[in-house]
Amino acid sequence: MSDLAVKVSEPIALRARLSEDWLAVAIGLLVFGAALVSISGTDLLGWAVTTSVYTDVAQALNPFAKAYAWLGGGGALLATYAALLVVLSAGVATLGADVRKFAIAFTATFAIAYASWIVGSYAYIAAVTPAEQQKFGLTWSLKLTNEGGFIVALVSGLVVANFFPRFAVWLKEAIRPELYIKIAIVILGATVAVTAAGRLNLASSLLLRGAAAIVEAYLIYWAVIYYIARKWFGFSREWSVPLASGISICGVAAAIATGGAIRARPAVPILVSSLVVVFAVVEVLVLPFLAQTFLWQEPLVAGAWIGLAIKTDGAAVAGGGITESLIMAKTAAEGIKYQPGWILATTTTVKIFIDIFIGVWAFILGYIWTNHIDKGPDKAKPSEIWQRFPKFILGFLFVFAVSLWLAIGSTPDIAKALPTAAGEANIFRVIFFILTFFSIGVLSDFRKLWQQGFGKLAAVYFVSLFGFVIWVGLLISWLFFSGFKPPLAS
Amino acid sequence: MSQPELEDEINAAAIEPLLPVEKKLIGWSLGIGIGLLVVLIALNHLVPIKL
Repeated sequence: MSDLAVKVSEPIALRARLSEDWLAVAIGLLVFGAALVSISGTDLLGWAVTTSVYTDVAQALNPFAKAYAWLGGGGALLATYAALLVVLSAGVATLGADVRKFAIAFTATFAIAYASWIVGSYAYIAAVTPAEQQKFGLTWSLKLTNEGGFIVALVSGLVVANFFPRFAVWLKEAIRPELYIKIAIVILGATVAVTAAGRLNLASSLLLRGAAAIVEAYLIYWAVIYYIARKWFGFSREWSVPLASGISICGVAAAIATGGAIRARPAVPILVSSLVVVFAVVEVLVLPFLAQTFLWQEPLVAGAWIGLAIKTDGAAVAGGGITESLIMAKTAAEGIKYQPGWILATTTTVKIFIDIFIGVWAFILGYIWTNHIDKGPDKAKPSEIWQRFPKFILGFLFVFAVSLWLAIGSTPDIAKALPTAAGEANIFRVIFFILTFFSIGVLSDFRKLWQQGFGKLAAVYFVSLFGFVIWVGLLISWLFFSGFKPPLAS
Repeated sequence: MSQPELEDEINAAAIEPLLPVEKKLIGWSLGIGIGLLVVLIALNHLVPIKL
């Protein structure tokens, strides 16, 4: 996050965030609605670009639907870019952004991010099973799956942030990880519903266990980290509240929501947020690989753990996607093939359960602060619960509910066509994940950690995260999810 | 407020002692949290994940 961000006032930041939430809902529903039209036989999104594992890059790209094969891979890529450019430019215009600057910056952002994705699909990086290696004539590969492209996108963003800081500033109009991941989560509702429809019992069991995540994040993590920040590191209340919320609940959104609730100065939660993003990057680069190494026999534990340990929506949900790919690659090599989607669905469920209560927790803190600590005329009001509620979750729930109804409550023909429609929408979910990873990388200026003053903030984060949050999250995930596996692919 | 000012503030801030209401918040949060976790763990055993 740039220095400019520190100067944003809290009301403006809050308004922008809320508008961004609704914008994410609108774009997510647009993609979902367009994908659903394919059920009627009219394919509106079949031109969207997909990337296959390749050794010859000319063979890497293709349109999703055969009906659009005439476009070719390059044409599909251009069509996808153009569609995203038009929709997102119109979207950010509603947020008051400079559309011209956004369009130019988005072009560069999309180009680097998607190029990273293509690099990640190179067979030497992505091929997983011996059969795949044989198909491409390889004797070795990194076995990262083609979702290793997320890591490549993240690293590309980190290179830009840390070695080309002027270019990072030039890109900043299009560096919107929160917007991209919220759109992706809304779209993800369809995939989660299609996955859940096949195993409703397992899906409902996962939902019940999401409650444990709420208890852990709000009542245990928050209290311990607040105590550590106040007692061990001597931070003031104004700094400790957003810091505890950022580390324990949900990164940027929680830091800003609770900071606003206790009437902290606007710059404080925003500064904390920049630290959250940097640590989330480190976690995304490390935790999925630890999960693959140590938790591959407990895939749902791994999914829940990622949701509990990584503290921004973008990094957590996208990290769940990488974890799923890595674990499925490992199990495939052992001859076990799980149905895709369950690990990511577990991560998403845990994260969304945590997000839902941000507004309630902010109100509780606001009530205590304005009535018992900093007494003044500006009292916390119950209406703030709704104001601070992350609205994109409503989009996710709507898409999930509609898709679930179509899968189990409509005609067999519709139910049969739904997975293809959801798959079409999922292409855009993946693209928004790629944009999220690249954007998070661009926002992660590691020099901040070395700057005097922020070292103390980073120390609280480091002690809390690696001394407590990760391990308690692992314990809770193990207690609630161990012994249960995703269904096997048929 | 500029970033250097914030950095100075982090380093130079006077220690604010924990108020009773903060201690109550931490204590009640942890107490309720651990209690609820125990209940949820019991429920988890009584209502196992259905495949």
